[in-house]
Amino acid sequence: MILNELGIVLVTGVLQGSVYALVALGIVLVHRASGVFNFAQAEFGTVALFGAYAALTLWGWSYPMSLLFGLLLAVAMGLLTERFVIHPLRDHSRVTLLVGTAGVALAVIGLQFWQFNDTLIMSMPKIHDGFYVTPFGAPVSVQQMITVGVLVVVTVSLALFFRSPSGLAIQAAQQEPTAAELVGISVRQVSMATWAIAALLGGLAGVLSGPNTTFTAGFLTFGAGRALLPGFMAAVLAGMKSMPGAVIGGLVVGVVEQLGSLTVFVELPGARAAMLFVFLLGVLLVRPQGLFVGRAVAA
Amino acid sequence: MTTTDETRSIPIVDDLTSEIPPVIDEEFTDESDEVEAFRPSKAGWFARGLVWAVLAWLVFAYPVNFFSPFNVGVSDADTASLAVIFAIVGLSLNVLLGYAGQISLGHQAFVGIGAFTSAYIVTDLKLSFWLAIAIAATFGAVQAAALGAISLRVSGLYFALVTLAYGTFAEEFLFGITALTGGEGGKPAPRPVAFADEYRYYFLCLGFLALVLWLDWRLTRTKAGRGLMALRENPRVASSYGINVKAYIMLAFVVSGLFAGIAGSLLAHHDEVIVGSRFNFQLALIFVLMTVVGGLRDRVGVVIGSVFFALLGSGKLVTMLNLGGFFEGVLGLPTEFVALVVGPILLLLTITKYPGGIGQQVAPIRVWLSGRRFDRHAGAVQEVEVNDVRA
Repeated sequence: MILNELGIVLVTGVLQGSVYALVALGIVLVHRASGVFNFAQAEFGTVALFGAYAALTLWGWSYPMSLLFGLLLAVAMGLLTERFVIHPLRDHSRVTLLVGTAGVALAVIGLQFWQFNDTLIMSMPKIHDGFYVTPFGAPVSVQQMITVGVLVVVTVSLALFFRSPSGLAIQAAQQEPTAAELVGISVRQVSMATWAIAALLGGLAGVLSGPNTTFTAGFLTFGAGRALLPGFMAAVLAGMKSMPGAVIGGLVVGVVEQLGSLTVFVELPGARAAMLFVFLLGVLLVRPQGLFVGRAVAA
Repeated sequence: MTTTDETRSIPIVDDLTSEIPPVIDEEFTDESDEVEAFRPSKAGWFARGLVWAVLAWLVFAYPVNFFSPFNVGVSDADTASLAVIFAIVGLSLNVLLGYAGQISLGHQAFVGIGAFTSAYIVTDLKLSFWLAIAIAATFGAVQAAALGAISLRVSGLYFALVTLAYGTFAEEFLFGITALTGGEGGKPAPRPVAFADEYRYYFLCLGFLALVLWLDWRLTRTKAGRGLMALRENPRVASSYGINVKAYIMLAFVVSGLFAGIAGSLLAHHDEVIVGSRFNFQLALIFVLMTVVGGLRDRVGVVIGSVFFALLGSGKLVTMLNLGGFFEGVLGLPTEFVALVVGPILLLLTITKYPGGIGQQVAPIRVWLSGRRFDRHAGAVQEVEVNDVRA
């Protein structure tokens, strides 16, 4: 019985964790490039989701076009954030930058409330309305399988990209900006590119997780699909620098969070939030350098 | 050729330096005496007095319909109390973020714990409000100290994550314990009989704001305050001057928690029924926003910023300034979301362009009001930055 339950926890945890992993990848990328804790990362996802929602249900675009529009919107937001917040503040302390990204998140949430205040609770059709049933009896929708698939594709392509010449240029600029400038790499362009990629990853997390449930403004930051804190925790597990670590970290955090929904804790309110808090404290106090950073991993 | 030219020019420089006339001391001291001796004229005093009177009227009389041509309703007095409570929260966050350089994204939990403690003591234990607010303040200080102890072990920005997780944990776990907080339905928190009236409650809040302002002022004027200032700039240098960095950071947490506890208790009895979902992450972001926009380390600025955001958030400011038509009609922006849209823009403007915040903007007026010459550049901050202690 308990084994069965743990099985369900594992499956749903990994499925939920793949969304966290996408967010965490973006956080790690940005942190490596700008040294910023990007609190707007999850909002990239919500922006993409709202863009896709507006295109699909309000303007009647086709599904692929809506997704594309949402993702482009997220990338545009990432570039704007870099241009108008991160770049002007590059010489300020990192807490100022953190407050800046939190401001970006809040600004976007405000815009969402403003533009979509007629229908406060929204929902969007899934890519495919199917259900698989796994051995443990946990319902797994096709949408969730697609999310996992996208995560795998993203991970592989990021790994390949960071071994290509332009990927290596990005890594060089992140590790040693001055030296990279000297060999002809534009640190400015690298920063823009990183923010664009991070925003794209956040956007993917948004458009893939949104259709699973109904959503409101601030969906991925503090709404029903809250992924900001778990994403950050996954990034912490990755030591804020390892990309594979971020992926594994996301899955681990997903499972840990799901442990809170075991029947043992049914009496406790908000057991998942408690799980996450205790887990984060444990990791930060015991192993602050992260769990999945054995050797100096580059990408 | 060029090298010989340069060597030749050196004696000329020597000549120049020897020709500089000696500085006369008396002239300098005379000038500074003159600046010190500035006293406003009679008209100047009158103008200042008038502005003071208007300010006093605005704070003490206007919200409670005393000596006022406007008819301010009960709900407006209620909003005024809320604004005062927000000011206390702003000052609380200012101690952490401004003085100690520790960012807290879970400040709503600090306030919430104070609120529920107070509500529990008054409703379930049937004890007096005064005891409740004292215990709420203590509780706030204790939980802040616990979090501070963690903060000392966690380096730099990671602490921001701990506070974020703590806020969520408190909102969902602590405030969800039905026996203590009443769960979804909320916890009733009746006001003390003498202050049950909205107008009187406003003065109660004002009194506590005055107390908090006084404590805050005393904090910055003592050795502890200067120690905090030093360790924010550079903890290593500070500790080499014999400042106990850890103790002072703990002190900042305790003071901040104390203020937040008071604010929470006042908030609980202001709302009269307190619900856990009121203390969500959005509120924490608004708290950070109003403190930074108000101007870190600037008491007056933080108070004005907090009041501004409280009024903006409740939609009262828009109605007061008759901007409802502009926002709803022209922009299609409902009044309740004005704070969410305008606030972050102000925040980004503040940190990129005017790091001193509102405090910097009003500094010339403040200087003028305190009987000095009007100086447009007063309060210009050379190097105001949200510094990180251990980043």
